[in-house]
Amino acid sequence: MSDSFDLRYPADGSVLSVEGLEVRQGERLVVFGPNGAGKTTLIRLLAGTLPGGPAFDSAYLPQSPYLFRGSAGFNMGLGLSAEEASRARYLADRLGVGDLLQYEASSLSGGEAQRVAVARVLAVRSPWVLLDEPLSAQDEQDRMMVAAVIIEELGDRGAVIITHDRQEAAVLGDRMAVLVGGRLLQEGPVDEVFSLPAVDAVAAAVGIGNVIDGEVVDVEGPLTALRAGEMTVWGIGEVETGHPARAVFGAEAVTLFRGREGAAGSARNRWVGTVTELRDLGQLVEVVIDVGSRVVALVTPGSQEVLQLGPGANVTLTVKATAVRVNPT
Amino acid sequence: MDFIFEVVGDALGALSGFGEELRRVLGLTLVVSLLATLFGVAIGVPLGAWIAMARTRVRTVWLVAVNIGMGMPPVLAGLALLLLLWDSGPLGGLELLFTPSAMVAAQTLLAIPIAAGVTAGAIKGLPPAALEQLAALSLSGIQRGKVVLIEVWPGVLAAVAAAFGRVVSEVGAVLVVGGNIVGETRVLTTAIVQETRQANFGEALALGLVLVLLAGAINGFLTWMQLRNARYE
Repeated sequence: MSDSFDLRYPADGSVLSVEGLEVRQGERLVVFGPNGAGKTTLIRLLAGTLPGGPAFDSAYLPQSPYLFRGSAGFNMGLGLSAEEASRARYLADRLGVGDLLQYEASSLSGGEAQRVAVARVLAVRSPWVLLDEPLSAQDEQDRMMVAAVIIEELGDRGAVIITHDRQEAAVLGDRMAVLVGGRLLQEGPVDEVFSLPAVDAVAAAVGIGNVIDGEVVDVEGPLTALRAGEMTVWGIGEVETGHPARAVFGAEAVTLFRGREGAAGSARNRWVGTVTELRDLGQLVEVVIDVGSRVVALVTPGSQEVLQLGPGANVTLTVKATAVRVNPT
Repeated sequence: MDFIFEVVGDALGALSGFGEELRRVLGLTLVVSLLATLFGVAIGVPLGAWIAMARTRVRTVWLVAVNIGMGMPPVLAGLALLLLLWDSGPLGGLELLFTPSAMVAAQTLLAIPIAAGVTAGAIKGLPPAALEQLAALSLSGIQRGKVVLIEVWPGVLAAVAAAFGRVVSEVGAVLVVGGNIVGETRVLTTAIVQETRQANFGEALALGLVLVLLAGAINGFLTWMQLRNARYE
């Protein structure tokens, strides 16, 4: 099941004007954009808390979940059926807030309150789930755990997830829509949007980056090796061997050398490939390289000349493992 | 200045001399004002919650009505009720005029807008995140009202205090529909008017002190409840 929405707010579209926003069952659509881009307006229209949106049977997590006077458990159970409430309790346990449900809601920290609200919204048996910045109040060490529970519990439902964080977008999204100034600038698979921004405004908002999907083949201390086709990517992460994962790193983290031999040094990731495309971004040039997977790098026009980079050129790429995040998928 | 001292002296003397009559006046004052507060709050608080949260344009009409009602002169409310309850009026058959029931009805009319206005104000004062969360929960109207009223509980107590303060201190409405009949419909405020008109200033002042103590005791209790329930301290 899928649906396509035209969203406009207010009626003249001065704050938000989006045409053909597509949502599909079984898919997580991340809406990404800088502050003030209209992301919250978009999700509030979908949720029906702003007038003028479509009628949409959804469970909705607002940006700042609010817990009312009463226990955390009372808040979690508001409006839930008995079956949903027991699911919510199970999820609260998994999110590490099960023991806090008996306490007065005002005694919970912001992160704990958000996890209670996440447990509640995921428990609602609704075919669509709308999450506005679901990880915003989480500490670094809890973020991936909460993300994993969200992904698992969404299952084959459809979701729209708002974020302004690249890492969260890469972890939570299947597809990604970039919103800038109330307009939808690009929509597509997450890795494509990160590596091939359609216009400069998207590149500026998202930052140009690399997203590589594969399977974890090795773990050495804090470092995890991900295998994607011919290519091995080392990065920081906590995913066990044999599990699917996604490596994320910025285009600025990639260093380029001319030829197949260059590049001595300590960088853990070292790949050889062929330049397929060059894109002028004004101050910088984006270089698209085929190393088995597609990797993008940024160079100055000066370096492009020195390295004699053109389509078909052979290059060696290095990336420090510490600049790469490996996240579970 | 001697005159003032003399009146205060008389008042203190009168306080010790009050007997059966004062007990009756005090008792009726309490019964009438507490019942009117109870009815006024029972109607006004849900009305205020509805005005604050309803998504229809009709609520604006009600908001205007409530705001006018909050400033309604009590004597006018009394007069309106008097016309309704008059022998040949539309509700004359009930034969309620000059009874405590009519006084309760009149004061209830005064209490409803105050309770509604204060409640609506408290709900409007909730942070936007609370209202967004409330809309996100897809609750029934009753459930939503319950959550909101618990959330603004100190505001609801303020509504109770304001309604009680309004009715216990007013004289116009109870005088018009009650008639200030000794032993039947005389309450503290109408008794004060009566004693003042007869130049019994000592007695009037003594009754005033009793009224202040009564109102102070009840509103003091409500204040204590409010502080005990304050969420942010």
